Amino acid sequence: MKKRPGGILAVFQYLDHLTDAMKKANVRGDFDGHEVFSPTSYHEIEEAGDFGSSPVKWFTFVGAMTGTILGFGLCLYMDYDWGLVVGGKTPGVPSLPAYVVIGFELTILLGGIATIIGMLVMCKLPNPTQRILDERFTDDRFGIFVPNATLDGEQAKILKACGADEIRLIEA
Amino acid sequence: MSDDVKWTKTISDVNDGILANLEKPHPSYYVAWTLAIIFVGIGIASWAYQVTYGMGAAGLNSPVYWGVYITDFVFWVGIGHAGTLISAILFLFRAKWRNTVARGAEAMTVFAVITAGLFPLIHVGRLWFAAYWMGPLPNTNNLWVNFRSPLEWDVFAISTYLTISLLFWYMGLVPDLASIRDRVKGFKRLVYGLLSFGWRGTARQWHHYEAGYGFLAALATPLVLSVHSIVSWDFAMSIQPGWHTTIFPPYFVAGAILSGCAMVYTLLVPIRTMFRFEGFIKEEHLEACIKLTLLTSTLVFYAYAIEFVVAWYSGNPYEWAIFVKRAVGPYAFYFWVMVFCNCIFPLVWWSKKMRNNIAVSMVVAILINVGMWFERYNIIVSSLVEDFIPGSWGHYEPSLIEIGLTFGSFGWFFFWFLIFCKFFPIVSMSELKLIMPKPLSTKKNS
Repeated sequence: MKKRPGGILAVFQYLDHLTDAMKKANVRGDFDGHEVFSPTSYHEIEEAGDFGSSPVKWFTFVGAMTGTILGFGLCLYMDYDWGLVVGGKTPGVPSLPAYVVIGFELTILLGGIATIIGMLVMCKLPNPTQRILDERFTDDRFGIFVPNATLDGEQAKILKACGADEIRLIEA
Repeated sequence: MSDDVKWTKTISDVNDGILANLEKPHPSYYVAWTLAIIFVGIGIASWAYQVTYGMGAAGLNSPVYWGVYITDFVFWVGIGHAGTLISAILFLFRAKWRNTVARGAEAMTVFAVITAGLFPLIHVGRLWFAAYWMGPLPNTNNLWVNFRSPLEWDVFAISTYLTISLLFWYMGLVPDLASIRDRVKGFKRLVYGLLSFGWRGTARQWHHYEAGYGFLAALATPLVLSVHSIVSWDFAMSIQPGWHTTIFPPYFVAGAILSGCAMVYTLLVPIRTMFRFEGFIKEEHLEACIKLTLLTSTLVFYAYAIEFVVAWYSGNPYEWAIFVKRAVGPYAFYFWVMVFCNCIFPLVWWSKKMRNNIAVSMVVAILINVGMWFERYNIIVSSLVEDFIPGSWGHYEPSLIEIGLTFGSFGWFFFWFLIFCKFFPIVSMSELKLIMPKPLSTKKNS
């Protein structure tokens, strides 16, 4: 198994302390590969992280378009393969307004499934063998993990100055 | 609205408070669960009798082939709608109060749609053949399903709705399941670790999660409006008097949301008391749910009235005759129960005092659920018993088998909902934290 890097973990009680630290970490080279932890999705963290646009939207788009094509394709192919006489109308003639419902439903269905897949792929999930650095990060604490840093390094001093409540070493 | 909520708790209290439901439950929980199982037993016995002796046992005969089963189907699909409205549409509108009730409402949606899905299967009789009749599967006759039929649209609509509701619900659960994983030990930790997919709560994960949640909400929004519109087309696409009307889609959607919101209230009030969630699901949140119910009640009231106007103004004697008979004919009882429960009783909620009176509001919410069941029964039965040919007219009353299966469906719904209440967080902890005071340092707060 690939060895996980060691480093330092800073635990914060306050959101503004965390975002201050994130802004400093983003402009420095010695915080490369750092990870931020939060119990929920505060917009302040998203703004401080400056992550850009999420590629999940492309999964949604491709899934939804596939659904549209599949929905209409399914109806058209089956109509072509064996035309049913409905209401005395000529069989085999596509009834596009009726097929809109199937096309719409499959657009939503495959778009939704693709969105979930996209979210899982981008979040690198499922990952059942992940390392839980601190169990409070899913409760009420925030954190920053800096790989390959030490307790007496410059990064630890910056995190402490930003208001970290505790900083501890994480073994590789 | 929720900005005015006076919080006495902080985000540090959320996990301890909400996950209290994982501990040993209140004895009333076991009583409720036992009752649910008894009701499921009644449903299974009724279904077994019908399968053994044939569809005649259900009491469905010419001219009413759609009776209580399709009433139950439409009722349960409608119940599901409030969950998606609250979780998706109100999410897009950034209505903060939804964060406290969304999880319970989503669970309600999932279990209600599963329950609804049983009824077309029960209704076809030999349900083991149903996959061939409903799905576009290759068969020995080389025939495909009829994509021009609203019943086929319904198959696609309901299965899509169930899948998307399930995904939406589970996606919201993932961070909360990770919270449980981080609190428990041993085998439970392994199970919740697997269920949470190994969620770590990194900022990047939240970034992609929020994007995905937003897109799913955007997809679910037209879906929720389309599903009950498509269900209404099961009726409106026919030429049956009382059914063939263009008002049906918005009328059905409003009715669905009305029944769903009432059911959300009916479920959340006992749960709030049973698990002591008063500090999280505040009275302001319950009141917001009531306001939404009242709004949809007025929409439904308007739809009931305009249906009569349209029937009269159309000059179609068959259409008008059905509506007159609904109000004063042999099925007038069902009609007036529907009107009083869905339109008249909710009017008490115009008073703020009544909105905040939980006992009164609970009674009205239950009455709305009763009224919405009667609404579907009224639409289906009163139109079918008398069509264009007087010689084919008939009368219909529910059989014991149908009543047994209806009670069974309530048992089935509550059976799953109560299991959910015991093993999963009933309130979304990660979303609740978002509407509570942010954990800012004293310096910045001052």
